[in-house]
Amino acid sequence: MRIRADRDDLGDVLGRANRAIGTRTALPVLQGLLCEASGNRIRVTGSDLEVTVRTEATVEVLEEGVVVIPGRLAEQAVKRMPAGQVTIGTNDGDVEIVGKGPRFSLRQLSVEDYPALDEPDLGGTEVDGDELAAAIGQVTVAASTDAARPILTGVLFETREEGLRLVATDSYRLAIRDLPGVGVEGTGLLPARGLKELPRTVGATKVQVGLGDREGLFSSERGMLRVRMIEGSFPKYQSLVPDRYPNEVVVPKEDLLEALNRVALVAEDHIPVRLTLTDGGIELSVTRQDVGGESEHIPGAYRGDSESLLIAFNPRYLADGVGAVATEEVSIQAIDGLKPSVIRGVDDPTFLYLLMPVRI
Amino acid sequence: MRLVVAECTVDYRGRLEAHLPRAVRLIMVKADGCVAIHADGGAYKPLNWMNAPNSLVEEPGRWVVTNPKGEELVITLHRVVSDTTHHLGPDPGLQKDGVEAQLRDLLAGRPELIEPGLTLIRREYPTDLGPVDLLLADPGGGTVAVEVKRRGEIDGVEQLARYVERLELDPRLAPVRGILCAERISPQAKVLAAARGLGTTEIDYARLRNAGSSEPTLF
Repeated sequence: MRIRADRDDLGDVLGRANRAIGTRTALPVLQGLLCEASGNRIRVTGSDLEVTVRTEATVEVLEEGVVVIPGRLAEQAVKRMPAGQVTIGTNDGDVEIVGKGPRFSLRQLSVEDYPALDEPDLGGTEVDGDELAAAIGQVTVAASTDAARPILTGVLFETREEGLRLVATDSYRLAIRDLPGVGVEGTGLLPARGLKELPRTVGATKVQVGLGDREGLFSSERGMLRVRMIEGSFPKYQSLVPDRYPNEVVVPKEDLLEALNRVALVAEDHIPVRLTLTDGGIELSVTRQDVGGESEHIPGAYRGDSESLLIAFNPRYLADGVGAVATEEVSIQAIDGLKPSVIRGVDDPTFLYLLMPVRI
Repeated sequence: MRLVVAECTVDYRGRLEAHLPRAVRLIMVKADGCVAIHADGGAYKPLNWMNAPNSLVEEPGRWVVTNPKGEELVITLHRVVSDTTHHLGPDPGLQKDGVEAQLRDLLAGRPELIEPGLTLIRREYPTDLGPVDLLLADPGGGTVAVEVKRRGEIDGVEQLARYVERLELDPRLAPVRGILCAERISPQAKVLAAARGLGTTEIDYARLRNAGSSEPTLF
């Protein structure tokens, strides 16, 4: 195999495929990128078997063929070349990366060892890629990173009459995002880690989404992202969302986020931030025994059964939820200081973030 | 932050004399007055630097940086490639590597897991040699310095020994003893810690994380 292309184009096609390569892989060959050159295209595949990214670019193919190159090293080698054309080719068991002067000679990995990654035909529905990426970003904040409970590390893709629904929870909070009118067929639990790669790998204005029995496929003109589904039953989340909240406060999102940013200087995950919802907005305070504290008032509108309501949250979880709201004003709806509260955008029925309060 | 990329030669006179021959380098002038000269390699250490407070006098083709200790850094600029200034704003500070910092924070909330009866005085207690991860009070009126590592090795023991020695000088804290806490502690580190009179405690991070999580859940 031998191809020639502009340094930046090559760096991009390798870099995006490298996003799928994990730091700890069971197979050494998965530290490599499978490069296939034919016609006037190169296809580059990176995978850790759970997440697979395939990128493509138009290049000058000098000699067709297939090779596995060391992923991160080859990407860095290409990116550090002088601007202009770069050639990648095989030579006597090595991969040569040649720019205007510099020449890397890197050891190849075995093409035979690279696992066969069949391409299932999952059909697919064309969706607005930017809207999908934003929706994924809104729910993945609530997904767990604890590998001990794999089900909670995923995002549930659920087809409903009104459209597609995405749900994630780590048991402390739950995020739901509806995409009305998006008619993706199928239901499945896809790892948040892989979904987060969507905008950085194959994100585009238009993305085809297909859900099979075992995997989800996202493809665009920039390539393909394939994520293996997580097996198991997602928690029955519908019953967790209360149908009415007697207390609600509405405040500007940025004001609350800035306040939580200041709180973060003093608080940490296990130090709750206290919110008193009252006439005129929110009285917010945090105290850490060995450091000190911070308090402030956030102006807003409150309505409720009682004159005021004290409720405490994990500050990071609260900031994640407020940050995920897509409107300028954020509404916090609460029953009392012990039952789950809801954070949502004002007049935005498509997003909901359910957050469990902390006992104080 | 002022960033100047320039072909320059640099001469330092002070504790010793040092000369950087003519080459293209990055000169950083930080908001607090620090001046650092970097080559295009190495992650953190400048080739030459002067800590604030400094006085920087710009002459045509030549910068002279002096400080109250009488040290002098002369940068001769042969060709300036780029000269830009950026306002970076306040810095939130360094956040430690996830597991180590989380382990420290979880232990700060449950110091009794290190040893029954211990209570928290302060996290990141400052010493002349750097901050000690946790400073705890023991029921007997003494103080316990705790260094938290993901893996306890000999260098962690050495570090803790230096902190304890330093903290002992403070009559408000003495007597001070030290405990090295880590998920795993190497046999060599245990031997050295015992020889230095320091304690060691292995912590099950996963269990601590679950035990430390008393937050109510949705389901």
